[in-house]
Amino acid sequence: MSGRCGALLFGLLAFALIACVPVVEPPRAVEEGQAPPEGGEPLSASAPEEGAPVSGGTLVVAVTADPGHLNPAITTGFNVHAVADSLFNGLVGLDANANPVPDLAEGWEIQDDGRTYVFHLRRNVRWHDGEPFTAADVRFTFQEVLLKYHSRTKAGLENVLAAIETPDDYTVVFRFREPYAPLLQRLNVTEAPILPRHIYQGTDPQQAEANLNPIGTGPFRFVSYTPGEEVRVVRNDDYFKEGLPYLDQVIFRVIPDPSTQLAALEQGEIDYVWRVPGPDIPRLAADPEIELAQVASGPGGGFCIMTLTFNLERPLFQDLRVRQAFAHAINRQQLLEQVQFGQGRVATSPIASGIAWAHIDPEPTYEYDPAKANRLLDEAGHPPGPDGIRFQVDIVHFPVFNRWSQVLRENLAQVGVDLVIRPLDRSAAVETIFVARDFDTNLISYCNNTDPEIGVRRMYVSTNIGPIPFSNGAAYVNPRIDALFQQAAATADRGRRAQIYAEIQRILKAELPYLWLVENAFTVGHRAHCRGFQAWSGHFAETAWCSVEG
Amino acid sequence: MTRYLVRRLLQIVPKLVGIGVVSFSLIHLAPGDPIVALAGEYGDAAYYAFMRAKFGLDRPLGEQLLIYLGNVLRGDWGISYTHGRPVAQVILSRLPATLLLMATALALSSTLGVALGMWAARRPHSGSDLAIRVLCLVGYALPVFWSAQMLILLLALQVPLFPVQGMTTARYRYQGLEYVWDVARHMVLPVAAMTLHQLALITRLTRTNLLETLAADFVRTAYAKGLSEWRVLHGHALRNALLPVITVIGGRVGFMFTGAVLTETVFAWPGIGRLLVSATLNRDFPLLMGLFTLVSAAVLVSNLVTDLVYAWLDPRIRYG
Repeated sequence: MSGRCGALLFGLLAFALIACVPVVEPPRAVEEGQAPPEGGEPLSASAPEEGAPVSGGTLVVAVTADPGHLNPAITTGFNVHAVADSLFNGLVGLDANANPVPDLAEGWEIQDDGRTYVFHLRRNVRWHDGEPFTAADVRFTFQEVLLKYHSRTKAGLENVLAAIETPDDYTVVFRFREPYAPLLQRLNVTEAPILPRHIYQGTDPQQAEANLNPIGTGPFRFVSYTPGEEVRVVRNDDYFKEGLPYLDQVIFRVIPDPSTQLAALEQGEIDYVWRVPGPDIPRLAADPEIELAQVASGPGGGFCIMTLTFNLERPLFQDLRVRQAFAHAINRQQLLEQVQFGQGRVATSPIASGIAWAHIDPEPTYEYDPAKANRLLDEAGHPPGPDGIRFQVDIVHFPVFNRWSQVLRENLAQVGVDLVIRPLDRSAAVETIFVARDFDTNLISYCNNTDPEIGVRRMYVSTNIGPIPFSNGAAYVNPRIDALFQQAAATADRGRRAQIYAEIQRILKAELPYLWLVENAFTVGHRAHCRGFQAWSGHFAETAWCSVEG
Repeated sequence: MTRYLVRRLLQIVPKLVGIGVVSFSLIHLAPGDPIVALAGEYGDAAYYAFMRAKFGLDRPLGEQLLIYLGNVLRGDWGISYTHGRPVAQVILSRLPATLLLMATALALSSTLGVALGMWAARRPHSGSDLAIRVLCLVGYALPVFWSAQMLILLLALQVPLFPVQGMTTARYRYQGLEYVWDVARHMVLPVAAMTLHQLALITRLTRTNLLETLAADFVRTAYAKGLSEWRVLHGHALRNALLPVITVIGGRVGFMFTGAVLTETVFAWPGIGRLLVSATLNRDFPLLMGLFTLVSAAVLVSNLVTDLVYAWLDPRIRYG
């Protein structure tokens, strides 16, 4: 038996030996004294600036799911954009306040009252394989890829765009059938990344080989993709923005489990996570080596409102008093505090406050008032039964929203409404809600993105009722609203547009086809020695840098 | 024996076709729409209709099944919706990582399990027997996802002996022998999590069977002949006691795949267990079918291997 024991001991020793092998850290190149980039302010919310950015170093970023491919022009999915946006550029970037800033286009003119946009492209841009970037790449990408396969850009531009012209190699002209105001908001790297024509021409963009070996113009160059494990990119030394990026290398690690992501962050195996779950925020905030920042947008979408949808095809919800009763019965402040752990703000309008120029807080406010809700339900002819229950309705949502529906269930129980919770995984929920329309209410986080035309209109116009994911799930029909959205999109003047959106918000707030609960923010976590992130943008690491002490 | 082997191998084919038809129907009849994974969000109706048509999702289910089976017969497993690459390619790129984890865990749990079982059975009801039995009970009762989290908490965070996640160190690319060490360090915790459960089961089973065998007449005869305890245990008792244990080990191959789903998710191990999760969530039908077929084939083959090992262990069993 002693042989057996020996084998056991040997095994244990081998484990211990393996554990003791030191990890070799790669050397970091340090260059002092580089000026911070224009428009590249770090997230000041929690990242105090210390010294100037330094060049060099590696940033390890956790991503939740394997991207599968790295072509951001054929998908709206967060998992692809979180990684691939760093390899590409759009024509126009967006700053922290969603204002357009130059990217591949160094300037632009809006002519013909918003019917014509002329973009002047930078002349010093080269693709990662050395080929020059020209206007032909832009036209090819829009015509052959974005307007065919990027669902958001296709849906937004296909029917309004008349032509894309390239009078010379460095000028692109977008001509619209009628004035089109939101164009500059939908040309950033997430909405409209520009692909190389010389690589993609003649391929099926959905299955092109280049999707796994991408060539872009972006701040980082692709090195390798190990499916399910990681994507490695290195600094693009020929990047057209002088002095950028600072980092030598960015490694995107696929770590599906949020607690494993945080453990790896605390341990220093990774430097950046896109989402810190609410319950973990106080613990990480107390860790001096970790900094947190709250942001309302990112490459997967921005300015998202957690929204309760009423199925207006059900007779119960055709009665405005029932919808109003729900609005008074639900404690949105409680949802913000207990479910969102304070990340965000109570929603007051169909347009998120992040789109500041368009957002208003219209009346009525629907304050939390169960007594008023009870009165409204009585008036609507739904008296409580002997068990105190007036009626039963279901709520369909993704399993990640369980905590939301639990609070809603408690809230509604107080006014005699029995809420039946039906969590369904994402694919099944989409089918149940938008194809089968088998629900009384549902819960979805609708992202407004950078313009009401992109992320708000889709929920309210009557042409968007049908088997379209994340569309007009309420089946709300109001010709006046249809016309106003149409008018707003075709109004070039922002002040005038804001007035139209104000009217839209007043109508919707009064008619309540949906109930807007909370404007969600999310919390980014990173090692304290790395800073300068643009967490709202697909180019989150373009201006990031890590000091040596980490 | 060769004829038996050929016959058994041929039997696997219709079984796989049957499994394929059933799983195809189950996957497609279950609620869930792959259109978001396929086409993204915010699209319009025409775009979604175009994408459904492009991937054949607008055809009747029977027709889809026939097209699929026809393609598979030609060696075409389809294109993954989420990866945009051939299914076989996607699976093959992820399979080695899972096999490494599974083979190590299966080998460790089998050898350690039999060894511990023997140790416990040698002196039944002694202190060491009791300790092993209690540990087995605890090991078997712990769910993998929990024990995996605890391993991270204890051996990666509290006492940082091992890395938290992944198969390699992100910040540095090791080469040659250093790479092997790096992977070995990353393997320790996931292998431990997967082994623990199996180990408990195999230890308990070995102990029980060995105790029964040790009470048999031929064991008494062996002792009476003057053989050492070592020879009796190894040469006579163990071989007889192992038959049921082999059945269980062979049957665990399927369970190991399910265990890999949890272990790979918690430790961010880039294997097919996680691929299965994401394929399910995205309703990536071609990828799901490929994975189901692979796992079914693995289970069928492991059953065959188990039967063959029987004949080797027990001379009374002969296949002809």
